[in-house]
Amino acid sequence: MPLSHKIFVTILVFFSLTTLIFAGDDPTLEKRIEELEAKMQSLDPTFEKKTKSISLEDRIKALEKGIEDLLKDHSSSDDSNSINNQKENSLNTSPDLPLESQDNSPALEVVLIETEQQGKREDEIRLPVAGYMDAHFNKDIGEPGELDFHRFVLLFGHSFSSRIKFWSEIELEHAFVEGGEPTGELELEQAYLDFLIKPYFNLRGGMLLTPIGIMNERHEPPAFNGVERPQVETVIIPSTWFDMGIGATGDLGKGFRYRAYLMGGLDATLFNAEEGIREGRQKGFFSSSRNPAKVVRLEYTGIPRLTIGTSLYSGHSGFNLQSTNPRVTIFNADARYRYHRFGIRGLLAKNWVSRAGQLNIAMERQTGVNPNVASQMKGYYIEPEIHMLPKHWRHDLAVFTRYESFNTQEKMPLDFIPLPQFNRSARVFGITYRPVPDVAVKLDYIFNRSASQVFTPRDTVNLGLGWWF
Amino acid sequence: MKKKYVTLLLSLVLGFVFLSDRLLRAEEPIPLEKPDQIILITAERFTFTPSKIKVKKGSLVEIVLRSEDTDHGFRLEAANIDKIIPPEGKGRLRIQFRAKKTGRYPFECSRPCGAGHNLMRGEIIVE
Repeated sequence: MPLSHKIFVTILVFFSLTTLIFAGDDPTLEKRIEELEAKMQSLDPTFEKKTKSISLEDRIKALEKGIEDLLKDHSSSDDSNSINNQKENSLNTSPDLPLESQDNSPALEVVLIETEQQGKREDEIRLPVAGYMDAHFNKDIGEPGELDFHRFVLLFGHSFSSRIKFWSEIELEHAFVEGGEPTGELELEQAYLDFLIKPYFNLRGGMLLTPIGIMNERHEPPAFNGVERPQVETVIIPSTWFDMGIGATGDLGKGFRYRAYLMGGLDATLFNAEEGIREGRQKGFFSSSRNPAKVVRLEYTGIPRLTIGTSLYSGHSGFNLQSTNPRVTIFNADARYRYHRFGIRGLLAKNWVSRAGQLNIAMERQTGVNPNVASQMKGYYIEPEIHMLPKHWRHDLAVFTRYESFNTQEKMPLDFIPLPQFNRSARVFGITYRPVPDVAVKLDYIFNRSASQVFTPRDTVNLGLGWWF
Repeated sequence: MKKKYVTLLLSLVLGFVFLSDRLLRAEEPIPLEKPDQIILITAERFTFTPSKIKVKKGSLVEIVLRSEDTDHGFRLEAANIDKIIPPEGKGRLRIQFRAKKTGRYPFECSRPCGAGHNLMRGEIIVE
């Protein structure tokens, strides 16, 4: 045989042997089978571990048979415990759906849990409480500026069980409180128990946030643009509004959910021309239960990044009056939407105060001053924003503008005249920089206007720091 | 003689390359089974969208969760899961499970995220 042929045959034999050696005998696979056999023996001591002389395929078949035998034994021995397991499962399963055989394996068997983290993970130390804070610099043009630690808020909760939960929110405004002096406020904004019954019906009781508007239940500083909250939401709504109450919450399916509460009402003796109904909030401070108010909110969140909501409030407010009992009705509709780098939100709110004329007369007799409360108040705003940086960047910079119009003297009772300085509007231009999603640095300029030729509001420049943890 | 050695060396090199390929391929992970259903959930103060998820019993389900703002929690007691959803732009949470039993299994946000945190929950329905 020529030398070249000999060499060719040698190479061919070499590769054949190599293929034979590795074709059916993968060392990693064999190791895993050995591990499985060891586990199988710990579950079933009678399981016979096969010797290495048998092929891997046969060993896998033996393991499969062993597992099947174990499952058969397991399902037959659980029949005697079926009554107790049915009672336990009834809490978490619908009565309309049939119960399964009583094995103790998880209902949802996890196959994979993976957190895909983008960018370097930076360690954050979690505290046992959550909270948010904001600190402001506000300057009316032509006046000295003011520094103010506007809010220091702590939130914490507790789960007594999977169906009874507690949540609370306590707020300190303007840094300190001193009795009898015009200082800040220390308020218990939320403190309630949730009793979870069904997804579409749950009970709630305690100190509740009134479910109205966008900001009243969603006011974490990084969650909105602007150093100060929209004036429509603080004057017409009036946020932050909370009181003692009870009610129901639920998810109706297809993206619809609701909150419906009975709450302490407003005190009409504190209504005024400039701030409308805002000062009438009782805030759970020995709130009168004589005329509990009813409030319901319906939201649609069935499309990602879109929320549409509407609220209706109604309650009498004359518990401190002898001669009249005005009813306050508030209607609100709002929406917010984000599409890639663009976002927009808007809100409309309208208040009706019945017997406002009688209220003004009664208060003038009582205090000597006519509060000039309107029978209708109205406000709306629209706020588009653009996020300037790509979404996958670590930082976020949003540029926004807001147009607000709000009038606490929209319609007056007979024989009362509206005060034009309270027919107001504001144009806000600003930026919100978020180095991380839970921290916001804000800067804005507000062009304030009113219908009055005599009382002209000043423009404002604001700088703010806000954070959530 | 020289040709012999060259040929032998060439054979050994080729053999090594072939063996290396087999060894490396043996360590590749077995590919995961393709899920029967992939559901994208958006988490945002204070909603999961969608909040109701229907799956078939026995199916392999994958849930991919992304946040639109802060980092939310995802607790699904029926699967013994309690994990963090990374904040906006920082990643996502991927979970695969096999729905073994029919029933309704609630999930909720387990990381305080704001005033309405207790509203943030949903349900997996296995039919």
